[in-house]
Amino acid sequence: MTGLAIDDAAWASAWRLRSPADKLLLCGGLVVCALALPAWPGSVLVGLAAVTLALGPARVPARTFGRAVRVPLLFITVGALTAVVQVGGGLGWAPDAAAQAGQLVGHAVAGSAAVLLLATTTPMSDLLPALHRLRVPDAVIEVASVTYRMLFVLLTSLSTIREAQTARMGHAGVRASYRSAGMLAAAVLTRSFDRARRLQDGLAGRGMEVGLRVLPEVLPSSRRFVAATLAGLAALVTVSVLA
Amino acid sequence: MHIAEGFLPPVHAVGWTIAAAPFVVHGARCVVKEVREHPESTLLLGAAGAFTFVLSAIKLPSVTGSSSHPTGTGLGAVLFRPPVMALLGTVVLLFQALLLAHGGLTTLGANAFSMAVVGPWAGYAAYRLTRRLGGGLLGGVFAGMAVADLATYVTTALQLAWAHPDASSGFAGAAAKFLGVFAVTQIPLAVGEGLLGVLLFRVLTVNARPELERLGVLRPAPDAPHALSRDQAPALSRDHVHEDQRAQASDAPHGGER
Repeated sequence: MTGLAIDDAAWASAWRLRSPADKLLLCGGLVVCALALPAWPGSVLVGLAAVTLALGPARVPARTFGRAVRVPLLFITVGALTAVVQVGGGLGWAPDAAAQAGQLVGHAVAGSAAVLLLATTTPMSDLLPALHRLRVPDAVIEVASVTYRMLFVLLTSLSTIREAQTARMGHAGVRASYRSAGMLAAAVLTRSFDRARRLQDGLAGRGMEVGLRVLPEVLPSSRRFVAATLAGLAALVTVSVLA
Repeated sequence: MHIAEGFLPPVHAVGWTIAAAPFVVHGARCVVKEVREHPESTLLLGAAGAFTFVLSAIKLPSVTGSSSHPTGTGLGAVLFRPPVMALLGTVVLLFQALLLAHGGLTTLGANAFSMAVVGPWAGYAAYRLTRRLGGGLLGGVFAGMAVADLATYVTTALQLAWAHPDASSGFAGAAAKFLGVFAVTQIPLAVGEGLLGVLLFRVLTVNARPELERLGVLRPAPDAPHALSRDQAPALSRDHVHEDQRAQASDAPHGGER
């Protein structure tokens, strides 16, 4: 693993150049609807809307979206099954197990799909500046931005070192695997510090005194998109409440 | 183990966010203060965040046959202290939600409470206690990482039990269920992560002693000048080396005259 499939999808998405605030409005609205509206038909509609928007207009590859959904699905399945098994007075299903599990799965899958719509259309570097509006201090946003930028270098180091270890039988057997994992973590940690120090030296040489200033990319908000989002969310709420 | 998006009812999601907020805000204040005093810390803290994220990509072979991923919160607490970890952990959780689809946005508060607050504090307490009782650095690291993992897992299970109580036995029954189901993966992981920590620190104490001393994990050796770590050596310019040699060279005859 060198890259992150969701991040790649976000950079390649057809919605990449849309304003992050617009996308936050849409996905945030869907997340809230998925949680607050009744599972039937609210969550089902939210889930369908999120998947349709991602695979349709946003042109996220279906393979990436499907693979990404698998991770939360495993937790949701195990969690929902555990929640509806009754343990008091012998093991068995809770009285309304199917309905309860359905609701839980509905809310969770719809919510995960809505978050994934945001994740697969908006790169992290577009979202972080948006945190300014939430009054997150600049220093924190800068640390998060450095984290994002350094991630990929470290992931590449990680996979390269692991490949080298595997080629030298470093993962043959549990004992060797642990030893390799420890050395791998140590190597990545020292590399991350070393890289931070070298970056610092480079930036200091260029006169960095008060934070890393970068020109933000201007991504204008679209009135049509906002209007369509509000209309769609309103329709979702109306249908769910009336049904 | 992250709670997936939409798995907690709205009241719980909001409640846990409010519970985690003071710790995260405190962490943010520490980071802001640190960055104001030492602007160069931005990069080091960013590197620490990236390392915590990347650590979860390391596979650990598990006793149950599957492989699991370390959480790194205990390690972060030992290296960077729990307040900073509350903020870095939350940032990492946000990244995991948006880059790996682990966890969620409405459950970010609950996940931050278990992984960025309870885990690091419990792990750090275990680490300090073990060191004070004479367990040494490696013993402390093992205890810190294993306890951080266990505390995170227990907190998450209790959060889930509170949100979804058992139909007949209520919270207690649900807690037993969730603790039992996730024990299969989480207890071997806690032991595995403790072992990883020991192996990691064994390498670090040899290769990155100055870094550990700077972070306050190891006390600097009082008189013996420590050897340069492997990745520090190339950072010394040739001039430095020449100056050192010149200094030594000029010392020698001077010393000889005495």
